[in-house]
Amino acid sequence: MAGAPAESGPGAAAGEQLPQQHVACQVFPERLAQGNPKQGFLSSFFTNNQKCQLMLLKTLETNPYVKLLLDAMKHSGCAVNKERHFSCEDCDGNVSGGFDASTSQIVLCQNNIGNQAHMNRVVTHELIHAFDHCRAHVHWFTDVRHLACSEVRAANLSGDCSLVNEIFRLHFGLKQHHQTCVRDRAILSILAVRNISKEVARKAVDDVFESCFNDHEPFGRIPHNKTYARYAHRDFQNRDRYYSNI
Amino acid sequence: MADHGDWRPPRPCEAYRAEWKLCRSARHFLHHYYVHGERPACEQWRRDLASCREWEEHRSAEAQRSLCESERARVQAARKHTLVWALRQSPPADWHLPLPQEEKDQ
Repeated sequence: MAGAPAESGPGAAAGEQLPQQHVACQVFPERLAQGNPKQGFLSSFFTNNQKCQLMLLKTLETNPYVKLLLDAMKHSGCAVNKERHFSCEDCDGNVSGGFDASTSQIVLCQNNIGNQAHMNRVVTHELIHAFDHCRAHVHWFTDVRHLACSEVRAANLSGDCSLVNEIFRLHFGLKQHHQTCVRDRAILSILAVRNISKEVARKAVDDVFESCFNDHEPFGRIPHNKTYARYAHRDFQNRDRYYSNI
Repeated sequence: MADHGDWRPPRPCEAYRAEWKLCRSARHFLHHYYVHGERPACEQWRRDLASCREWEEHRSAEAQRSLCESERARVQAARKHTLVWALRQSPPADWHLPLPQEEKDQ
């Protein structure tokens, strides 16, 4: 991705949108001021890059979603190195981050991630793509169904579609609304990195939804909050005992 | 199923209790309804907790059988959908390679 617009080259394999934005594609770079998350204490004394690095470090060291993903990736032979596999950069448009499969690197958009909670969610989202890349032959650039599957999983498992986040986006719905959100955000993420029509993106998501929505690896469940993520991590650490006794 | 002297429950009994308690919480009801549009089913966690405790106290063979059956059903349920992609036998060859030179020079 490295500073180039996502759709101009191999670039980002998978992207993540700011929570409040509806503009999906980077060919429209207008940024709506109200889309930026609230700036915290760090904004007065540090550059965007320094803030990004500090928040990333805190996420990697303390967030239970991320710690499980890092463990699972290490177990699969893809140990993550902060300097090698993460890059804080300025991005065009309103994308929060992306996973570049051609360089095995997660890009974090330092000009669009404003607070720790947002960083936690973006890192979780992109690590799910990295995890999929590590454990499976994902045809990121040649099969839109594969991209759709990873985006469904990322939207489902990262907290993107939590009830609270949806309410902040002014999307009000309760019964099974989570699934609607996952579909919609997967479509938006696909459109951010692929120059295809919304209909093609929607069809790809529909084709893979049943399988990919129910693939909860490595969590074993949908982690609705940090408690679920901690339980999932506990189960992952216990897996040897588990599988040898069933 | 491992049927030898050193079998023990797949999870510590405390884990079954924690899952049952979480499942029955109001928060989990809300999360589950938000995702699935129906109320959660928690009875199996309660049965598994009882089996776990039964095995710990009496080394009951029936408790062992019941726990194994329950956990295998959970594993089967998690694996019932065909994957969209093929799983790898080994990680990507370029995962640990240095970044391309032009990136390093920027």
